[in-house]
Amino acid sequence: MEDLPLLYLDLKLKTKRKLRKYQHLLTKETDAVVTIESENLMICNAGLVSGNQREELVQFFSSFGAIEEVSMSPGKSYSFIKFKRTHDAIKAFKEVNGQKGLPSMDSCLYLLFVNKVPPLSVYEDVLPPGLLLLENFINEHEEEMLLNCVIWSSVDSDQEKCLKHRQVKHFGYEFRYSDNNVNKDAPLMESIPQECGFLFERLSKSRPELSLWMPDQLTVNKYEPGQGIPPHIDTHSAFNDPILSLSLNASIVMEWRNSERQHFSVLLPRRSLLIMSSESRYAWTHGITPRKTDILKNHEGNLTVCAREVRVSFTFRQLRREGPCMCQWPKFCDSQTPKTETQVDRLTEDCASKLEKIYVHQVYNEIASHFSDTRHKPWPNVLSFVMSLKPGDILLDVGCGNGKYFGHNKYIVEIGCDRSSNLMEVCTTRGFQVFQCDCLVLPLRSCTVNACISIAVIHHLSTQERRKAAINEIIRVLKPGGKALIYVWAKNQNKEEMSSYLKQDRKNRRKSAETSVNHTKFISLDESNYPKTAPDDQIRSFGVTLPVHSNRTNFQHNNLLVPWILKHGDSKNVEEAPTFLRFYHVFEEDELVQLCISIENCSVERSFYDQGNWCVILVKS
Amino acid sequence: MKLLTHNMLSSKCLKGVVTGYPLTIIAKDVKVSEVDFNQEFVSRVLPKLDWNVLWKAAERLGHVGELPQTLIENYENDPEFLKKVHHVLLEVEVINGELVCPETGRKFPITSGIPNMLLNDDEV
Repeated sequence: MEDLPLLYLDLKLKTKRKLRKYQHLLTKETDAVVTIESENLMICNAGLVSGNQREELVQFFSSFGAIEEVSMSPGKSYSFIKFKRTHDAIKAFKEVNGQKGLPSMDSCLYLLFVNKVPPLSVYEDVLPPGLLLLENFINEHEEEMLLNCVIWSSVDSDQEKCLKHRQVKHFGYEFRYSDNNVNKDAPLMESIPQECGFLFERLSKSRPELSLWMPDQLTVNKYEPGQGIPPHIDTHSAFNDPILSLSLNASIVMEWRNSERQHFSVLLPRRSLLIMSSESRYAWTHGITPRKTDILKNHEGNLTVCAREVRVSFTFRQLRREGPCMCQWPKFCDSQTPKTETQVDRLTEDCASKLEKIYVHQVYNEIASHFSDTRHKPWPNVLSFVMSLKPGDILLDVGCGNGKYFGHNKYIVEIGCDRSSNLMEVCTTRGFQVFQCDCLVLPLRSCTVNACISIAVIHHLSTQERRKAAINEIIRVLKPGGKALIYVWAKNQNKEEMSSYLKQDRKNRRKSAETSVNHTKFISLDESNYPKTAPDDQIRSFGVTLPVHSNRTNFQHNNLLVPWILKHGDSKNVEEAPTFLRFYHVFEEDELVQLCISIENCSVERSFYDQGNWCVILVKS
Repeated sequence: MKLLTHNMLSSKCLKGVVTGYPLTIIAKDVKVSEVDFNQEFVSRVLPKLDWNVLWKAAERLGHVGELPQTLIENYENDPEFLKKVHHVLLEVEVINGELVCPETGRKFPITSGIPNMLLNDDEV
């Protein structure tokens, strides 16, 4: 990235860092560039998206001098201001930058001199490929008639549910939000209302290619101001192409995004029909941002902030009955990407062991010293289990890592084992007794230890059978009456308060972590994309595809790869740091308990949630 | 590897092995270091161990000293005896060498004090 001009040198370090970020945004999104000084300023962090109004900006900046124009674009959190005199722009720059904010803001404003005010972009006339908007598709009379044919009862029923974001009613078939699909064998009593029939007659006249298309499923959504729908792609295997959406009672702005980070804000006018087909239906997400205002054109043609009103949408879809989806976008297609859960669980022992070798054992060995540096603080509940042991008791830590739980209770025998030889070396330098082994085969006599802990280990095993075998080994080496404490990572990271795993992301500390729908990257383990040290044949033989988790977000999948960014002491540069992927199976509530009670001689004394983990205390009978 | 650890290790996990205990120690480097003596701790750990195996291992390493081959009675009140046990249990350590399965002869290397008990997939 280019450096900022000299004039910026006097600014505070934090301000300069922010400005460099905004400069990048400017060059990426507009054709304007940063200059030394001019009458034009980019107001980097106040725009229509951040809820700022034109009047507010005019009022604030007028105190520095006469303003020629203020330019704000929909979908942008920045804006531009052109002063009549350069002198006034410089004054504003010096007094405001990183020091003052608008009365409505908590933070300071950031300003950049730019060579020009970039041309104002309004709602794009260009739509994502395959998207078609038919304005004024129905008249006011028809709109009213359609609104009246949906009766919203005050009580929740199966077809009519009050989702977190909006009220929903289904016709023809119920749309299941649990798996974003429909049960094709269970039609609802209520089919699509007769009143809708005219829509398709009209459609076949204007779009003859759709004359044979007839929907059999209708979802009616009612959005109060402030409500929205998270970005999504309708499940490929559930519905055919196209999907139709009719906007009633109010206009709204819908956001469209693809995996190349292209973004269109599309205004859906009241009484318009949106036809989503081909690429827009299969490869673009669409969603409505929950907020109380939209940026619309007023009567004079100027953009302004408008309060949202209740919008009702009719979404017409046709169930896919002719087998799997064969679209050209397999990356987004559930028909063409088999489910990861069952895939992994069906791995043969041989493949499961290879997967763990590459995505668990080798990784821990590579990251051992960095990993050990980040693992100092013992979790209080594990520590209190260790401290509760009686003098002379023998404690085995299965997967002891750097020996975090050793050396606290001075009156017990501590023995650790781990798969990673590098982590074992860390333990011996700390003076702990360890041996190297696999948790599936503990090289110990049966009934020898009084207590066992296994913290954050069993979730690295790829099949349920192997996870059970590991717990079985722990029970085997315990003396009768001996206890084991097991921690595994929970899929739900928000069970009590937010886990420290999520808290470590600054963004999450401010807002409660809602389920963010991001473009999850999937990695097919068939491709030798990682790691370079592994022989190709080991990876090719798996035939499974796993999602790569975005760190510090909620888990979307049960089986996944979690990145570890290896930072060396001398390098702070994250971009250069190599990333390693570790396999995890994250547990559902009760899954660990169910697994344990299926094991002989094992009873669950206690199960609980702690630090984003599901935990059990087991007793050997 | 201290003899306390050795006392629990077994190669029963190997395919076809019936007992796999005790493992024979072939020591290349043995280190002796001083560890604080805690009489109560040693006397409480002792009943959890196989005395015979401990004694033989200590003898093999040349550190058995005056320890009797048969465990004495009322050792709880015999600090001199417990000190000797403390020595073989906690102060004598095999740094490099091998552990050998008594039934199959499979060798498990000990490197830098860490026994490598990992098995190949076809050994399980």
